[in-house]
Amino acid sequence: MTGGAGIEYTGVRDLRGPLLFVEGVSGVGWDEFATIALDSGGRRHGLVLEVDRDVAVVQVLQGTSGMNRSGTRVVFSGTPLRIPVGTGWLGRVCDGRGEPADGGPPVLGGSYADVGGAPINPVRREPPNEAVLTGVTAVDVLTTLVRGQKLPVFSAAGLPHLELAVQIAAQATCAGEPFAVVFAGMGLTHTDAAFVRDGLAARSAARELVLFLNTADDPVIERLLTPRLALTVAEHLAFAVGRHVLVVMTDMTAYSEALREVSAARGEIPARRAYPGYLYSDLASLYERCGRIRGRPGSVTVLPVLTMPAGDITHPVPDLTGYITEGQIVLSGDVQAAGTYPPVDPLASLSRLMRKGTGAGRTRADHPAVAAQLIAALARSRQVRELADLIGRSALSPTDLRHLDLEDVFRHRFLEQGTTEDRSLGDSLDRAWEVLLTLQRSQLGMLPADLLDAHASPRETAR
Amino acid sequence: MIAGSDGLDPVRAALLRAARASADAMRERARADADDTLRSARAAAEEVLARARDLGGSDGAAGAARVRVRALQDAWAVELAARAEVYAALRAAIRAGVRRALEEDTSARVRLAGVARDLLGPGAAVTPLADGGVTAGVPGRRVDLSADALADRALDRLGVRAESLWRPE
Repeated sequence: MTGGAGIEYTGVRDLRGPLLFVEGVSGVGWDEFATIALDSGGRRHGLVLEVDRDVAVVQVLQGTSGMNRSGTRVVFSGTPLRIPVGTGWLGRVCDGRGEPADGGPPVLGGSYADVGGAPINPVRREPPNEAVLTGVTAVDVLTTLVRGQKLPVFSAAGLPHLELAVQIAAQATCAGEPFAVVFAGMGLTHTDAAFVRDGLAARSAARELVLFLNTADDPVIERLLTPRLALTVAEHLAFAVGRHVLVVMTDMTAYSEALREVSAARGEIPARRAYPGYLYSDLASLYERCGRIRGRPGSVTVLPVLTMPAGDITHPVPDLTGYITEGQIVLSGDVQAAGTYPPVDPLASLSRLMRKGTGAGRTRADHPAVAAQLIAALARSRQVRELADLIGRSALSPTDLRHLDLEDVFRHRFLEQGTTEDRSLGDSLDRAWEVLLTLQRSQLGMLPADLLDAHASPRETAR
Repeated sequence: MIAGSDGLDPVRAALLRAARASADAMRERARADADDTLRSARAAAEEVLARARDLGGSDGAAGAARVRVRALQDAWAVELAARAEVYAALRAAIRAGVRRALEEDTSARVRLAGVARDLLGPGAAVTPLADGGVTAGVPGRRVDLSADALADRALDRLGVRAESLWRPE
């Protein structure tokens, strides 16, 4: 963190929730970073939320509990929060404020970057067109993640979104190009934090991982900083160092709740479900930091994970996230109840940029057609299952029955996967073909004849 | 007793032949069955063995990978702890150096008092410290120019150059 010789302000007028009001200040600006020294000898950090004449409102990242009005000294840095950036972050485990949690020295860097980030010039944005492969069949084939994309995972309480996030973070690759993962955990329990550390141990040992862990018992305010630190580190690794960086942020609902708490403490007028009216623009200020820049190597791909309270997709957090991001991977309680991992609902999931990142020269020539045909067949299967519930299985046509079989084969041969099972794209696509060939050739109208000839068994071809 | 031949001999011989043929056939079938059973048992055993070998191999490989990752992690943790130790030693050395420099340079305290008054105004109350530095204050504002504070700021400004402690140029 930056900080120079500065004046310590001792006129603390009030402490309210996470906010500290200090009077007698001069030359202090909005969003300035502050260091707060306690009379007990401890140090905390904060950001200036507001300045009115000589009174500054400081949001204390660790909260104000245990602080006294007398004996508290505040130093303003003169700049917004800046952190050192560089490859020194790789392999490090830090808390939600970027302080080392692995017993190492402070993370040092050759340069400093503003954690607020600088918006990418829209004219210089390069459209995403290459895939990030996750080794998870359902994601790679049906909702392919593309470099520079923002693709959220919509989950609900009790679903294994953390397992999926860790699996993707552990397995993701970029066709052998320099790659790194920045994992920002927010509001995690200590068990979850340990699970993340263990699950990503190999990646960390390979110095391809930066881990920020804000646990549930850390001050809620720190959560506002965690994704910004992660993105700042990622941007430098991508656009200055030249790596393709995947930023996994979980759980964005915990982040939004922190935003709501600070907003309430500031006395702002609440909007939907008491979230602040600027929730949309705040989320956009994070998600929009992904992308690729013309003339620069590397890319930042963002995979936010969010839980939908009570599974409600119209809740402000998933709703506003959906407006900003380019598709979603939806986890389903029904699929989970059937004992399938990962419980991805293929018909509710979508990657809007997938077409740009798949196909010949990118993944495999048959990929887009296979994915489209599989989704179409699964949609028909769902209709048939609903029909079977109404009129009974015995009344279904042989084609309908094949669609029911397809759903079973899809679940067992395609969707179901171990939490540490890393499947190649070739294996995943072959499994997709296996599922599709449950149907007769006449039902596979979205697949070109040459592809069908190449993949169908001789028996199927003769038919 | 002389065995006499009677008209049943051919029948007896035919029955015996048939019984022997049947017994031979049954023996052949039993042998074939036994061979089949043996063959399939051997094949099943081979399969179980191969599967066990595969499972054992993958378990072993996974175990070895875990051990390897754990070893790498442990080595990295030791390296980080050593880096933290040497960084703390650098901080201590810088603090000691600044204290020594302030002790040796008698005019330093006067200059520091001047800096404090520049920041807080001419009315600031300046307090000399035992470490050679000063603190100064006016109501609501304070400046810390102690030796340790000066040393810590210098170390912060050093930034990535401190990595030369563990990363030879």
